[in-house]
Amino acid sequence: MSATCEFQAKDYRSDLKPIWCPGCGDFSVVASIYRALAAIGRPPHEIAFVSGIGCSSRIPGYTTAYGFNSVHGRALPIAQGIKLSSPELLVLAAGGDGDGFSIGGGHIAHAIRRNMDLTYIVMDNQIYGLTKGQLSPTSQKGRITCTSHYGSLEAPVNPLLYVLAYGAGFVAQASPTDIAGMAAIIEEAIRYPGFAFVNIQSPCVTYGEEAQQIKGLKAISESLAALGHDSADRLAAMDLAQHYGSKLHLGVFYRDPDPAPTYGDLVRDRQALLSQGALPKERILDLFIKS
Amino acid sequence: MAISASTRPKPYLEAEYCKGCLRCIDACPKDCIAQGTEINPATGVVPVVLDLATCNGCGLCIQACPEPYGLRPENERTVDAAGFELEDPAALFGPRDTTAPVPVDIPDRHLPLPASEPLVLKGTYASALGALLAGCRHVFGYPITPSTEGAELMAKVLPKLDGAFVQAVSEVAAVNMMYGCGGAGLPCMTFTSSPGFSLMLEGVSYMIGAELPGVFVNIMRGGPGLGNIGPEQADIKLACRGLGHGNTQAITFAPSTPQEMLDLTRLSFELSFKYRNPVVLLGDGYLGQMTGVVRLPSTFTKPGLPAWAVWGDRDHRRNLVSSIHLSEPDLEQHNLHLLGKYGAMIRDEQRSDLYRCDDAEILLVACNTPARMAKGAVEDLRRKGIKAGLFRPITLWPFPIDALKAVLPGVSRIVVVEASPGQLEDELRLALDRADVARPPIDHVQRYGGILPQQFEIVDKVLSLCPVQSGEVMA
Repeated sequence: MSATCEFQAKDYRSDLKPIWCPGCGDFSVVASIYRALAAIGRPPHEIAFVSGIGCSSRIPGYTTAYGFNSVHGRALPIAQGIKLSSPELLVLAAGGDGDGFSIGGGHIAHAIRRNMDLTYIVMDNQIYGLTKGQLSPTSQKGRITCTSHYGSLEAPVNPLLYVLAYGAGFVAQASPTDIAGMAAIIEEAIRYPGFAFVNIQSPCVTYGEEAQQIKGLKAISESLAALGHDSADRLAAMDLAQHYGSKLHLGVFYRDPDPAPTYGDLVRDRQALLSQGALPKERILDLFIKS
Repeated sequence: MAISASTRPKPYLEAEYCKGCLRCIDACPKDCIAQGTEINPATGVVPVVLDLATCNGCGLCIQACPEPYGLRPENERTVDAAGFELEDPAALFGPRDTTAPVPVDIPDRHLPLPASEPLVLKGTYASALGALLAGCRHVFGYPITPSTEGAELMAKVLPKLDGAFVQAVSEVAAVNMMYGCGGAGLPCMTFTSSPGFSLMLEGVSYMIGAELPGVFVNIMRGGPGLGNIGPEQADIKLACRGLGHGNTQAITFAPSTPQEMLDLTRLSFELSFKYRNPVVLLGDGYLGQMTGVVRLPSTFTKPGLPAWAVWGDRDHRRNLVSSIHLSEPDLEQHNLHLLGKYGAMIRDEQRSDLYRCDDAEILLVACNTPARMAKGAVEDLRRKGIKAGLFRPITLWPFPIDALKAVLPGVSRIVVVEASPGQLEDELRLALDRADVARPPIDHVQRYGGILPQQFEIVDKVLSLCPVQSGEVMA
């Protein structure tokens, strides 16, 4: 199961050429994922990578991992199904802000409270790119799009804050403004034993606003490490996360210093407990006849 | 006074609480209780039966009964079990004492629309315009290719017309916003495409159950699953046979030009309110995106307010919108009522377009964009001396069987042309079977996966079925 040979970033790159717009932030996200996976060293066939629907959800196809572009908003339930059935796999889920926080928003809380050992990477660009520029749940209030001609009336969600509030054990933010940092953060997220969330501010060059392009992001970015943030302090993390949208904090917001057991661990513990003194498995029908 | 056999209360059975465990039979020393033989329709289980001729009121059966309300002393019969009845929302929220006047229908007004030059519009825009002319001011949607342009136009126009477009978090949210808006008695709609329509079906079933209007424009794309964004017609089954769970039907239109996208969307609103039922408009991906000449009608509609609306004022206090009927007989009555509506739709709302069918021996059956290819094929075949005609259902449900029956006698063969694996053909076959008419052999030309049948494919198919006898004849 463990790596028998060294892998390099290129071993995780598929033959498909990404069809993202030139300059899309997602190119550097997938490059960072190659680097993170190479650092971890699991062979591509031991990795499952699923996504929802959207531009960024094309990402599994550009890797050599097992994976697919799944149902809009349902990457997390599918990833949980995969992880539960094949616990030894390294499972990644990815998608965009619309996929994750709009139609799929309801699934995040439950993946977190179940503490499945997954890494969820959201490429957040504040817009629906694939359907050509509609409002997204992280679009700023007042944003003009083709479904909000006179400015959005809705306040954006704050994904960092709510993922922290749901109790995620690992919450980080990255951006293509710092590709080396992004690869390190993704690697740390994958290594975290439990549900890990990485929000990546990935600019949309076609429908994104000027302030959300690389230059604009650089202007508001601040390294959490440089700020002296203690990533074991959830409340301090929540305090910093409140600045989502106005500042771009890069790094690990929160890492549970004492990771809780994952759902997979608990399931296997339960199975072991109930197997003690139980009937031989081939006498399955007896379970229904006499309890 | 001593308690004697004559004063001890005998048991009585609350049959709805008896699970038929038979413990009372073992407990009874006088053999008064026997295993029942009839299923209780309220519970689906077989309760015991009592014959108290020899009962001395020992009460052992009551002690043995594990159900608190199964066997009880006769003198406690007055303790009414009705307090434990299922609380039917229709009773909880339904008609209540009010001195408010009984609400009346405020009728729609039809106002003249100034004449204008014909427009050149894409299908989704034409549909949006049709909805605006029908008085729709509330649109709920979620971006999905190839339908989004309709919603985008509405997002731009509605705020200027005292209306609102809301981009919901998902199609599930969108359909339930329609449930709310329709419940208030206002015209509302959504634009979606196949995967989004799948998500909406639960809400459609609830809207049909609660008898609410609402128009669903589904620009069908390639499936199943994620499929692609090419044109397909493989949601016909969904619209005609699978609108969510339960006994559901809705009038389903299949326009074939941008002009019809406008006209039929307008009509959809009228029928949606006439029958208090959702209406589905199925376009294919090309029809949503293609542009065409669209002439505007001479009137537009300023909607009134139906008397049944839960409008949220004093007059509409007694109204109820609900799809729950906990009592089985009530729900059966509700289904009979729905079936009555469906029957009226089948009787009155069949629509079709017949092209050169009068003397047709080969009858093509097609709808949406493939009908346009089929129309070209009819011309081509006529030039080749084959008497071909096109029967184009405009309503897929109800299928326009009455019009089809009229042309069938001269028809020697039917060829169904569709971009689906036989979903239109299934509707045709089912309609013919139910109408119990003799039918000619049925063949088909089908393409799948986002590809439409081409005119030459249709012509080739027909020629393979009936080769031209004596060279080309000019029709």
